[in-house]
Amino acid sequence: MHDPFNNLKQVMKETVFKDVSFSDERKNAVKETINQNPSPFHSWKIETIIAILVAIQHTPMHGYAISTHLFQKNDLIFQNKEGELYTLLHLLENKSILTSKWDGDKKYYTLTSKGKKHLAGYRQDNVKRDLSLKQLIEEVSF
Amino acid sequence: MNELEQWVARAENDVDEREHIIDQLMHDYGDAILHLAYTYVKNRATAEDLTQEIFIKIYEKLPQFNRKATIKTWIYRIASNHCKDYLRSWHYRKITINNKIWDYIPCQSPYVEDEIMRKSEGHSLTYAVTNLPIKYREIVFLHYYEELPLVEISKITNVNMNTIKTRLKRAKELLKDKLLKEGLKNA
Repeated sequence: MHDPFNNLKQVMKETVFKDVSFSDERKNAVKETINQNPSPFHSWKIETIIAILVAIQHTPMHGYAISTHLFQKNDLIFQNKEGELYTLLHLLENKSILTSKWDGDKKYYTLTSKGKKHLAGYRQDNVKRDLSLKQLIEEVSF
Repeated sequence: MNELEQWVARAENDVDEREHIIDQLMHDYGDAILHLAYTYVKNRATAEDLTQEIFIKIYEKLPQFNRKATIKTWIYRIASNHCKDYLRSWHYRKITINNKIWDYIPCQSPYVEDEIMRKSEGHSLTYAVTNLPIKYREIVFLHYYEELPLVEISKITNVNMNTIKTRLKRAKELLKDKLLKEGLKNA
């Protein structure tokens, strides 16, 4: 059977995409933007942050336990890069969303009242949820 | 896993490294992503803006690349979602409504690109493809222009394999109808 799309690639290259290429000017614009906002942290998934808050809402946990907990929840974002989890935990601590206490050689994390507020906000209705999430993401992104 | 993917995995949070990677990705995939964006939005300037945004997004998400897919599949997926978000946006819909007004005013149509395409014979296939509904258009583009296997297309678009097969079949029928009508019109 004749396939009408068989020479589509050739035809498109000669017509609609002729001379259409991503210019150096555009590439430089991307690089400039990247350099303007050297955010030390990339945009974390809100689900990941919430999963961490949920994990420690009732019992203090140490980093390794949190990461296993996330794996069980099927959040594999930190798989093979557990280091990033600690970066994020530090960050949340700096923003007073969590607080930590050393116990022997392990550091246990707990939610602060601010963290609890964020979590409660997340569970409320959608409008409020989005606002609270936006703030949280913004706080954690810069 | 190819060299680039290993590199991405190693780069983790090193800002300089990530910038080099974006450089490499723009070099390897810049044109392909631009063509993909064009396929969705059918306007060159918009496609260029979107491609720029897509690479910035890729930069931000690099540390989340988990090597479950190839880097190519992963960035195509980000690109495809980004374009679809744009098409759903309020801004885009407002513009298209404004453009529709031109249909009622007898003056130069804003669809100049479309006009040119329609007029030249060699363009009828391209014209027909770019006027397919989006769900067919994206799959036809990925399969016939990018020559990606259906498995990868399924990962990029999040559409299951059987649906993709059905859409390709349906796209062929639509195209044949269209080309037939064109032929009748020109005869």
